[in-house]
Amino acid sequence: MNQLIQNLVLGLLLGGVYALVAAGLTLIFGVMRVINIAHGSFLMLAAFITYSLWDTLGIDPLLAILITTPVIFAIGWVTYKVVVAPIRTAPMASSVLLTFGLALILEAAMGTIWGNNSTAIRPGYADESFQLAGLFLPKAQVYGGLVAVLVLLTLGLVLSKTWLGRAIRAAAVNPSGAELVGIKVASVAALVFALGIAAAGAGGAIVGILYPFVPGAHYQWIARLLAIVVLGGMGSLNGAVLGALMFGVAETLTSAYVSPSWATAVPYAIVFAVLLIRPQGLLGSRLREDAVTA
Amino acid sequence: MSHVSIGRRLQAIAVSTLLMLGAAACGGGDDGGGSSTGPIKIGTSLPLTGEFSQPGTAAQEGYKVWADMVNANGGLLERDVELVIKDDASNQNTVVADYNALVSRDRVDLLLGTFSSLLNLPASAVAEKNQMLYVEPAGGSPDMFSRGFTYLFFAQQATSDKQGKVFAEWVAGLPADQRPKTAAYPTLDDPFAAPNVEGIREILEGAGVKTVYKQTYAIDTKNFDTIVNAMKNANPDLVVHGAQFEDGIGLTRSMLKAGFTPSMFYQTNAPSFGDQFVKGIGAENTEGILYAVSHSPEASTPGNADFVKKYDEMFGGLPPEDAADAFAAAQVMQAAVEAVGSIDDQQALADWLHENEVDTILGPLSWDETGAPTGDFLIGQWQKGKAEIVLPESAQTADIELGWKPGGAG
Repeated sequence: MNQLIQNLVLGLLLGGVYALVAAGLTLIFGVMRVINIAHGSFLMLAAFITYSLWDTLGIDPLLAILITTPVIFAIGWVTYKVVVAPIRTAPMASSVLLTFGLALILEAAMGTIWGNNSTAIRPGYADESFQLAGLFLPKAQVYGGLVAVLVLLTLGLVLSKTWLGRAIRAAAVNPSGAELVGIKVASVAALVFALGIAAAGAGGAIVGILYPFVPGAHYQWIARLLAIVVLGGMGSLNGAVLGALMFGVAETLTSAYVSPSWATAVPYAIVFAVLLIRPQGLLGSRLREDAVTA
Repeated sequence: MSHVSIGRRLQAIAVSTLLMLGAAACGGGDDGGGSSTGPIKIGTSLPLTGEFSQPGTAAQEGYKVWADMVNANGGLLERDVELVIKDDASNQNTVVADYNALVSRDRVDLLLGTFSSLLNLPASAVAEKNQMLYVEPAGGSPDMFSRGFTYLFFAQQATSDKQGKVFAEWVAGLPADQRPKTAAYPTLDDPFAAPNVEGIREILEGAGVKTVYKQTYAIDTKNFDTIVNAMKNANPDLVVHGAQFEDGIGLTRSMLKAGFTPSMFYQTNAPSFGDQFVKGIGAENTEGILYAVSHSPEASTPGNADFVKKYDEMFGGLPPEDAADAFAAAQVMQAAVEAVGSIDDQQALADWLHENEVDTILGPLSWDETGAPTGDFLIGQWQKGKAEIVLPESAQTADIELGWKPGGAG
């Protein structure tokens, strides 16, 4: 029983990190209908920036989030204006191709700047754990989970309690209507894209502490993240959190009770099974244009 | 349109996305055209990006050091050598496309191998089909040598299933009160790592060391906490980990997080990465970790001191093992070319290597009829933040010490 609890805790902590990273991806899709394949690359970029801040300036990687996140936000905003905005009204597939190209460019840029050698961020607590009732809770994962909760709560509050949040939701639900009531949808879109990327920025610091990384690691991340947001329901923040936690727990329990060799495959099988029953994902809803044309 | 159409649209996008991710990157091209008077063009495709970028980058450095030294000494057959290096992005499909392009479009005169058994398996098949010599610096899986190839040669001391033999025999020969009684064998699902661990397990089980954990994990495994938790419960005296690099770092750090420090720890590959390994897990945690290694910067093998010096000049620091392996692969190819006196008859180059021993910076190498090497690996151990050779006794730079003592090297 103790082992089951230990594995569940490890799975939930892993899911917390996934949730942090997936939140931005689903936010961007929810408002803009852009599938950002470069999300994993922005995650790696944040990890490398965090590494430089830690390695050269000695800044704790968790504190570095306060620097990394605004920097990645700014990069996201510029990226939107220069690269994404021109295809804003193009079919969804165009955004997939465009952001895939962006991912490759970012990978090459990171390789040029930081090299393709494996990089690790190791603050003092990276290899330590809290001990609680016979369980071990890796400190970095706990901190990652707390950062995830903080970022997700902030995002949730911004979306539900502020004028900006109402503007974002209005732009997502009915862009034309939003324009009519004075909301500049293009500006909102830029802001949302930058916010989504910034969430990846916060995640990059945590991921960098937890796992060694190379520029090419973004492929593995984007595959997981897409599965998570599809499982939760594309565009649903709560769905992304639920999907991430399920994904983390499924990975962990499969590794513990089936075989580690199935640990990365079984969660995708669960995604497949869920989509057969609920094509819109666990908490996804029908899209406005689908309802209109139904 | 309703749920069904949403699902279809998402499915279509997801499928096209996965296809694109699978296709990844492909290699660029160079102008083709071989010549009998210009430089000798030597082609290779290496994993300079992606999962195996660590060894791929090191191999590139080794090849470049070799080319620089050869050109400084008058070239090969009195012609300069020119490397044509492509990036296969650690992708099996791309490496095949790259080697085909090297042969048919770039028209290179000679080929050198890539890194990891995973990539050398398909790449060597391209060389064999084109009847070109293929000396590989990595790719020790037994599967490499069961295909009846005649142009393939592995430029290390032994295939992966025999890489840990010296270590396993040493453990088996320990006095009963020092010998581990139980062992765990986590391993990457990889044609190099898995046979490596199996070879050790067979010897240790024969010596009465009980297997209490044995699992394989997928290549994209990032989180090792659950595997470590299971091993911790099995409480083995010895952990033998079949790793490449990143997973080696990841599992070791998870062991530290879980407070799981078995009395003996052996790991393939990762500990041989020198400074990069130290950065990955921390110098204080390296103390006592054992590993098989093909090269020692301190070895008195022919040309080793020059290689170490040149590497330091070009890239700084001590050469990682993979750079040395790549240098040795090029040395093997060079020896065959110089002995035959021509690059026109690649069958003659292969025949010569089948019949002769070659002195390299790794020591003398020779091969059986399949191209598999017939020697033994060195066993290294991290001691006080430094990589030492501890077995066999003839190559020792330090006595072997019992026990993994994380936090002990300060």
